[in-house]
Amino acid sequence: MMRAGPAPEEIRRHNLGTLLRFVHLRGPASRARLAESLGLNRSTIMALTSDLTAAGLVREELPRGPGRRAGRPSLVVRPESTRVYVLAFDVGVDRLVVARVGLGGVVLDRREAARSRDADPSDLVGTLAAGARSLVRKADRGAVCVGAALAFPGTVRRSDDAIMFGPNLDVGDVHLGDALSRRLGLGIPVSVRNDANLGALAEHERGAGVGCDNLIYLHGDVGVGGGIIVGGRLLGGDEGFGGEIGHMVVNPGGRPCACGARGCLEAEVGERTLLDLAGREAAPGQSGRDAVRGVVDAADRGDIVAREALHRVGNRLGLGVANLVNVFNPGMVVFGGTLRDIYLGSAAQVRSVLATNALAAPRERVKLRTTELGDDTTLVGAAEFAFAEVLADPVQVLTRLRTPEDTPVS
Amino acid sequence: MNLPGGGGGPAARAAAGPPVRPHALEAGRNGAATPGYRHPGAADTLGGHDRPSRDGGVARWEPLRMSVTPVLDLRGIDKSFGSVKVLHDVAFSAYPGEVTALVGDNGAGKTTLVKCIGGIHPFDSGEYRFDGAPARVGSPRDAAALGIEIVHQDLALCENLDIVQNLFLGRERRRGLMLDEAGMEELARGTLAGLSVRTIGSVRQRISTLSGGQRQTVAIARAVLWDSKVVILDEPAAALGVVQTQQVLELVRRLADKGLAVVLISHNMNDVFAVSDRIAALYLGRMAAQVRTSDVTHRQIVELITAGVSGDLGLRR
Repeated sequence: MMRAGPAPEEIRRHNLGTLLRFVHLRGPASRARLAESLGLNRSTIMALTSDLTAAGLVREELPRGPGRRAGRPSLVVRPESTRVYVLAFDVGVDRLVVARVGLGGVVLDRREAARSRDADPSDLVGTLAAGARSLVRKADRGAVCVGAALAFPGTVRRSDDAIMFGPNLDVGDVHLGDALSRRLGLGIPVSVRNDANLGALAEHERGAGVGCDNLIYLHGDVGVGGGIIVGGRLLGGDEGFGGEIGHMVVNPGGRPCACGARGCLEAEVGERTLLDLAGREAAPGQSGRDAVRGVVDAADRGDIVAREALHRVGNRLGLGVANLVNVFNPGMVVFGGTLRDIYLGSAAQVRSVLATNALAAPRERVKLRTTELGDDTTLVGAAEFAFAEVLADPVQVLTRLRTPEDTPVS
Repeated sequence: MNLPGGGGGPAARAAAGPPVRPHALEAGRNGAATPGYRHPGAADTLGGHDRPSRDGGVARWEPLRMSVTPVLDLRGIDKSFGSVKVLHDVAFSAYPGEVTALVGDNGAGKTTLVKCIGGIHPFDSGEYRFDGAPARVGSPRDAAALGIEIVHQDLALCENLDIVQNLFLGRERRRGLMLDEAGMEELARGTLAGLSVRTIGSVRQRISTLSGGQRQTVAIARAVLWDSKVVILDEPAAALGVVQTQQVLELVRRLADKGLAVVLISHNMNDVFAVSDRIAALYLGRMAAQVRTSDVTHRQIVELITAGVSGDLGLRR
């Protein structure tokens, strides 16, 4: 039997989500602008905003500053950033970050901790939970946590958030999210996703790739991760393992990779290789990121060994990008993490290899950009992912979270 | 993360008084060039929820298509200083939304060409077109009136003045008989925010207290404050450390992504390849080639700079 279009309830939920998503991503907007941008009439906008206001998700106020023209000014709809928030966790090999991020994408508060590479895996959950709890304690009275997500540098199964493979970081427990959720005791599940996938999402929604629906994000930490957005959606593959660009072979029979293969992009342009080629070692207490920056800095000052290392890494990176350009025809490739520094330090090599190895048609318009979110790309991605549920069905989710008023805040 | 306030701020600012000129960058933020707002659903894909896509009720914004006509178009430019011939039959174009790198050896004529564009030196013969129409640029004031701003290597900032005073130097806004300090401060802050500059604290800091990278940023902000269409940067990263160079390069890229035509003079091939869309290589006063960066290699550009020719590219002998 044919369905006669979506039900009115469904449309309403969809429109609520769309409106909330608009002010979440684009910032406060007047009712007039919302009406224009969303293609809805002003009375619909009014009804939607009053629902969202009643749920405590947005508030309306008079525009700041003098009015633009005669007549009653259109009310400005603002996200309730301090009252509706998520917890975002970024697990890196060298550092752990926990942030409380308000609706609208404002980082309200954050805790950072350095992590030593041989740290005891069982400490991880404890450290993260302690950081998160101190953030929750400092939240406003009546503020509600609407989600939590964790960015992990490894392969994560979509169906149950299980960590399948994390060559650079031993976590001990494959169900890191469940363990963390239990320790937090907020009654909120903690989703776990691949960090570079979340980075792609962040650049797409808030960074260099806003408005670009075919985007590839390359993230450098110790290894190299990737996230591929096609037609505005993240390419996850059958089980969510997709986008492992770091394990694309760019040099058959090349350097051994932690995954067991040889010549993976990760093995050819990763931190260890760059430092090895430059004849350096990460100084004790120095993070990998700083060590990579040290090589780029030395090359800039004229150190020939560092230059040669960057050249070789740049050539391999260019080869990887050329393959991606040929296969996916992205509108933009964004370099983040340590790859931002590596790209800016070896752009001549990367783009020369791209010019000779990629097909002319997809190469012509592809934009190569660096992250606009600095070192927070993956953290922002985790926050955006944590917001996904409330943005999909705002009122329902908030009602569910607010009904048991005894949300335990220990 | 991006700052809230993109909605109210710019509109209010434009209304705050008779604007000197509409604000180039803010126009891009508010108007048609605002990046397209998408359907919801991207975030859920990560979770694998398959939601039906619906088209009713939600308008899409399409990003503004960049035009392909050059905003600045020079043809057959000749320039001599007395008996010294410096430029010969030079063609040069700059496109909106693109970074055009101008490269060449020392003495190839880069700076002279830029000074001709900026009206500092009159050229002897040749055609100067701006926005498709012939233009006469006899002085820097003419160039500024067209919307061409040059950031010189020495930056030309006054060390003893603060950022706002430098941004508006010689073009101060007035309110009656007084200077409109509040308005200028607001506009300065808005411009720096529009450039996503986070490295500068107060706009009332003196230039003498700023680092090299911050000074470069102020000089660039001054160039884009005036609804400019073409911004020419002469070796912006020459005296900077690697961190500040990276920030300036990203700033250069953002200017172009906001729709300006940017001309970047640089000796550093990495910087050129990192941000440029086109490369114009001068060789001994002649334009060896203007090429798309995506079509050439480092080696080809080095050959064009040092020999004026590389394979099929370059000057015919």
